[in-house]
Amino acid sequence: MKKIILSVLSLLLINMSCDQEELEKLNINPQALNEIDMNFLLTSAQLGTASGGNRGDNRYIDWRTNIGMFGHAIQQIANAGGGIAPGDKYNQDNNEVNAAPWDFMYNGVLQELSEIIIQTGPGGFQEGVRENTRQAARILRAYAFMRLTDYFGNVPYTEALKGRTDGIFFPKYDSQQAVYTDIMKEVSEATKAMNGSITGDGFAGADLFYDGDVSKWKKFGNSLLLRMAMRVSNVDPALTSKYASEAISGGLMTDVSDRAMIKTDLGPSEWTNQNGISRAFANGDGGQPSPLSATLVNWLKAKNDPRLMIYSGGVGGIDMDPANQIGLPNGLDTGTLQDFLGKTGANPMVEFSNINILLLDDDEDYAFMNLSEVHFLLAEAAERGIGGATGAAAHYNAGVKAALQEWENYDASFAVSDAEVATYLAANPYAGLASIGEQMWASKFFNWWEAWSDWRRTGFPALTPVVYQGNITGGTIPRKLRIPNAELSTNPDNFQSGATLPNEYTTRVWWDVN
Amino acid sequence: MRKKLSVWKVFTLSLISMYSMAQAVSVTGTVVEDDGASLYGVNVTVKGTTNGTITNDAGKYTISANKGETITFSYVGFETQDITVGNANVINVTLAPDANALGEVVVTALGVSRNKRALQYSVTEVDGENFTKARENNIGTALSGRIAGVNVSAPSTGAAGSARVIIRGNKTLGGANQPLYVIDGVPMDNSQNGSAGMWGGSDGGDGLSSMNPDDIASITVLKGANAAALYGSRGGNGVINITTKKGTKRKGIGVQYSLNYVAEVINDQSELQTDFGQGAYVNDVATAPGSIQQASDWGLQAWGPRMDGRSIPTVFGEQRPYSYAGNNFDKFYETGGALTNSVALSGGNGQQSFRLSLADLRSTSIVPNSGFDRTNISFSTNSKFGKNLTVSGKILYSKENAKNRPRVSDSPGNPNEAVWRLPPNVNVEDTRGDPKKLGALPGGLDPSVYAAGNREAGDEMLSNYSNFWGSNAYWAAHQFNGTTKRDRVTASGQLRYDITDFLYVTGRLSTDFYYTKGEGLTPQGTGYQQGGSISEYFQNRQENNMDFMVGYDEDFGKFSVNAFAGGNKQYSKYEQITARGNGFSVPFFHALNSANNRNFGYGISESGINSVFGSAEVGYDNVLFLTATARQDKFSILGGKDILYPSVGASFVFSDAFVDAMPNWLSFGKLRASWAQVGLTGSLGPYQTTQPYGLNGNPHLGRNMAAFANRGTIANPLINPALSTETEIGLDLRFANGRFGLDLGYYDQATTNDILNASISAASGFNATTVNVGKLTNEGFEFLFTATPIRTNDFTWDLSLNFATNKNRVVSLIEGSTELSFEESRTRTTRIKHIVGQPFGTITGITQKMLNGQPVFTEDGLPVRNDVYEELGQSVALLSGGLNNSFTYKGFNLNFLIDTKLGGDIHSGTNSSVDAWGFSERSLQGRDGEAPLTVSGVNEAGEPLNLTLTGQDAQAYWGNLGGRDASMYIYDASFVKLRQLVFGYSLPKNIVSKTPFQSISASFVGRNLAILYKNIPNIDPESTYSFNGGAQGLEYFALPATRTYGFSLNLTY
Repeated sequence: MKKIILSVLSLLLINMSCDQEELEKLNINPQALNEIDMNFLLTSAQLGTASGGNRGDNRYIDWRTNIGMFGHAIQQIANAGGGIAPGDKYNQDNNEVNAAPWDFMYNGVLQELSEIIIQTGPGGFQEGVRENTRQAARILRAYAFMRLTDYFGNVPYTEALKGRTDGIFFPKYDSQQAVYTDIMKEVSEATKAMNGSITGDGFAGADLFYDGDVSKWKKFGNSLLLRMAMRVSNVDPALTSKYASEAISGGLMTDVSDRAMIKTDLGPSEWTNQNGISRAFANGDGGQPSPLSATLVNWLKAKNDPRLMIYSGGVGGIDMDPANQIGLPNGLDTGTLQDFLGKTGANPMVEFSNINILLLDDDEDYAFMNLSEVHFLLAEAAERGIGGATGAAAHYNAGVKAALQEWENYDASFAVSDAEVATYLAANPYAGLASIGEQMWASKFFNWWEAWSDWRRTGFPALTPVVYQGNITGGTIPRKLRIPNAELSTNPDNFQSGATLPNEYTTRVWWDVN
Repeated sequence: MRKKLSVWKVFTLSLISMYSMAQAVSVTGTVVEDDGASLYGVNVTVKGTTNGTITNDAGKYTISANKGETITFSYVGFETQDITVGNANVINVTLAPDANALGEVVVTALGVSRNKRALQYSVTEVDGENFTKARENNIGTALSGRIAGVNVSAPSTGAAGSARVIIRGNKTLGGANQPLYVIDGVPMDNSQNGSAGMWGGSDGGDGLSSMNPDDIASITVLKGANAAALYGSRGGNGVINITTKKGTKRKGIGVQYSLNYVAEVINDQSELQTDFGQGAYVNDVATAPGSIQQASDWGLQAWGPRMDGRSIPTVFGEQRPYSYAGNNFDKFYETGGALTNSVALSGGNGQQSFRLSLADLRSTSIVPNSGFDRTNISFSTNSKFGKNLTVSGKILYSKENAKNRPRVSDSPGNPNEAVWRLPPNVNVEDTRGDPKKLGALPGGLDPSVYAAGNREAGDEMLSNYSNFWGSNAYWAAHQFNGTTKRDRVTASGQLRYDITDFLYVTGRLSTDFYYTKGEGLTPQGTGYQQGGSISEYFQNRQENNMDFMVGYDEDFGKFSVNAFAGGNKQYSKYEQITARGNGFSVPFFHALNSANNRNFGYGISESGINSVFGSAEVGYDNVLFLTATARQDKFSILGGKDILYPSVGASFVFSDAFVDAMPNWLSFGKLRASWAQVGLTGSLGPYQTTQPYGLNGNPHLGRNMAAFANRGTIANPLINPALSTETEIGLDLRFANGRFGLDLGYYDQATTNDILNASISAASGFNATTVNVGKLTNEGFEFLFTATPIRTNDFTWDLSLNFATNKNRVVSLIEGSTELSFEESRTRTTRIKHIVGQPFGTITGITQKMLNGQPVFTEDGLPVRNDVYEELGQSVALLSGGLNNSFTYKGFNLNFLIDTKLGGDIHSGTNSSVDAWGFSERSLQGRDGEAPLTVSGVNEAGEPLNLTLTGQDAQAYWGNLGGRDASMYIYDASFVKLRQLVFGYSLPKNIVSKTPFQSISASFVGRNLAILYKNIPNIDPESTYSFNGGAQGLEYFALPATRTYGFSLNLTY
């Protein structure tokens, strides 16, 4: 018996002694890899760039911020109840509107894009073998930071995204001017560095934007650079001049098919693969109500604009007679709606023109920048003598043409013929900066984040703020998002010393001086 | 073996007078324990004579004695009883366990039984009966108020919810801080399967809910690091040792049967206004709905005029009077109930014993269509082969079905919020909708209201057709599904071989594994997700333990030595496959295979700890004991890093050492002191020391996507184990032969190098980082007073009062940082932070801006917020305690437990919401004919400002208050509750003896019958929605408070 006991004991002891290696092995996640193709991260980041973030919910930022705040603030859509629309009446301090882009971009696309840049750069495990992937990541990183700084003003930039590599958990803020100076340098360098002769690096298979077409990437890079240059044109003419000329000479988008967009899909997951804007408006899917704003409808009707019945799916989704289209004025609530209509019991979704559901398929393309914008920016540059651009009227005409025709991508029935364009232009000819600004605004349906920034910069169209009792902006259209509460509570010192203050919706960012 | 107090501390003495004679008579009877089990070998003597005998296997004795003589019944471990012979010649005796017995033994670390007098640390034992009479589905919850220093907070999440048990304060900032549960020496997996967060969700329950209270003989709580040193890192937060019932030596097979039924009803705490109805301000005029559309638009707010009984339209088309519709909580919530049937068979001879038990629990919650069922089977056996070998084995099986765990916190699918959200004139029963499909739009409604929202018959009936997020309570309860079914087996086998009479070896193997099958359904037609979605998951959790030990136990004259050494190998695994889908190709056919888009997820994690340990105790003359232990743990989650930690302690029974010097009222006195360290791994889980990449489970257009496998938290390869160091001293005094007792304890604990998942700025790229941070201390005082103020043959009053204070302090954090952030409230205006110099879990929040000491308001009277998170309160109570009284009179007994926690705070999201919606009493201020709402302070320029807000401005004030000044919603969370009441009766033996039974008893039982004191309107102060430590102090639409009452019947045969 003693022998048995002793042998059992010694067996147990042996089992317990040589355990170091076994314990180390046990801590390796069998479902994860220490090195992976950075192209996989690029695809993920590109999909996440649609809606502006990819932390697991593809519609969140669109729902909260693009639609809830900006689409209403710039008066293309309106809300008289239901959903969450602090941009309509400026009466709610809705933290999610602010938190959504902050959280989803820093902890989403920007995390992935930074990692691509680290691993394809010096010392990275894919150094030198993913050059185009790297440059695309740099461009998209600049794109994401442009959004962040446009919304919040000063943001963490230099020290941002260095939590893992440098242990900077509480990054300092950079001025918006510093951010712009650097992201323009980044886009400029990366665009030039993209190399069409590289093959076999998997970039074409990963790239959701252009399937690896480097010439199109260069056009997008330069067009984005032009957008950036024009955005700072009222405050830093030197910077504008430098990069506007570079962008124009470098080659911009020239065809509707050059537009920067990605295709979305019906599946396999509604939360990642579908179009976030479509999902955010989906009736019965927690969607935002979709009445068009009276400001937009009246503008389109006054111009006899063919986009009226592209944007509008009809009054109550039924009445498709253009003459009957009616937009919901911003700033109404259930009670004042009653006064406006002169009757009780009205449902805005029944009484007014709604967004056309043909634009809201779950697998709709998600656009980041269109050809029309490039022409409008060039027209403005020409008008203002920026960057050597010329031919303001011609660019205006080309911009309008592109703006009218680019909806065909959504549905064949939205095709606008060249003849219709000519008629439209004859009735609505170039008339200086206001005409450019208004057309750019009208062209940025869905891309409300950008329309809001354009409006802040140019002042076009001249929007009348709503008057609503109990509003929190003193009756002005919001001009900045607030740094979200989570950041205030986690990074208070840097926020106090570096953010654009006061942290109010009414504070203007650096470039907003118009 | 049993120790002190129990409700059944009744000696049933029945004297049946047959005849009275002066000469010697033959007296017979049975001697039993207080649970009815017969006692073998009890000494029965006639006082002052040499006449004596002992009881037989069935506890029977026969002795001859004269009338007037005294018979003494004595047995080791029990209180001796003297009974004078009267006219009866049958004397049945129930011996009460002796709280003061020299041989008092408790189960300590590794299941080693130790003489309690030798212990150098505090242990508390709770008898199993405390869990079986007035029951809780989760035994952790039933510990509340019973033990000094053991703090239970059960989130308000329904019948299958978790229990959060904190012993002597939170020792890690980010970890669960839960004790290790050990059943008969075998660690039990008590994984918490998910909690609601700020965005909603449901409590996934914990491992503890599998336990059948009827199997519990006793629970011993080892509180300190000192007590738990031998359990290693997992015992660093204390150990709860569960000893299960075993078969004992007896004649034949004993049968115990019990039946327990309790009803659960809502204990409504709401104090909402009933004067102003649904509606809104229209051009500053409070307006009631004038159309179906307005009834929908204003369906979730009460900013209308004073209710006057007029007829108004409703969302479902019919007219209703504009008057108070009655209490919706009473209408919606049902009477829940829990029925337990339990039967146990046991038997044994000198060599073998067994116990087999079967228990069945069927329970329903107050939330309709929600409940928890459990079936337990357990079998244990113990066999002795020859003199040296003992083999024991045990298998516990449980089958659990948690039906529709209610969603709490944020609104999606939360029926509780749905009831709160109805204006006072709306009757919740009017939202029942289609009687064949509760909560659904019936056919035949006015289509103009909901057609534009794409709603049709069969879809969720909303109170506001364009606010998809406000759920219908009936739809949430009846159409949603969140069911988990679990099959669990815990099995262990142990060999003990006594090599000599002083040397033994033991080896033990155990496994605890369970499969969980979960279903989650957001049905088609749901407001916020009309297409619906479904998920099904299979989860496998497993924990295996293998340990061996060599023990040495010998006396050398006045010295005794008790030592052992051994090793343990622990392995845990968690694996889950989830299949999800959304949209249904066959309408309303809610099957995964009917889902349009389907995807799956897979997760696995494994971990292990290898340990060696040793302990030595030297005793002198049974009055002085010195103990030293050491343990080394090696952790897989730390990549094989190890930590070695020791403990030393002493106990001195001074009352026995200096018998002559002691006053005679002091019957026992012991001083104990100890110092110990234990390694902790805090919140760290497997795979957190590296940052690998994982593939996104859903490729896009055929392209692979990847990201960091853990994109939320920065991994730290340099992470080290944390170390908890604790010093404890205590004094155990008993007076008047043990009728009064006082147990005082003081401890001073510090955790250094705590492992933390700290929230960081998202601009760093991540939301959190795993770090070793500074220092956290706990210092506390524990007090236990026990007394038997009255004890006569017929009447006994036992009392036990305990309380404990714990002072927690965050001493230091990451270098250069004085605070770290944790959970956020749903209102997103408050955040739990750990702040240097403050206790664990400071509630911080946005407050109103001040200028020169004056609050700042906008020109419209809205508070101007200060963008700084101020310290607003403490989420953890400073003092907790309980008072337990039991009275017995003949066969009757009455027991009640009063439970309290004092000094904690809570942020109430519910109160913030009911102000904003116009439902609270307070929101009446500023309305027509009500108290004025005045604000006074300064404007942003610092100029004095005094405003009286009315109408829409007052509404704007209440609507924005929570978002601009969170301090308005911080409340004192202190409470005193009547936690438990048991009133029982045991049939006298003379009646029982005419039945086939050995004992029959019945009780009325009640739990949570009354909140005797609280300081927060509308809710129970114990209303947290989450199990997570970082979310204590946050509250948002959890289940309402309930009370339970019912009866219990126990039969032994």
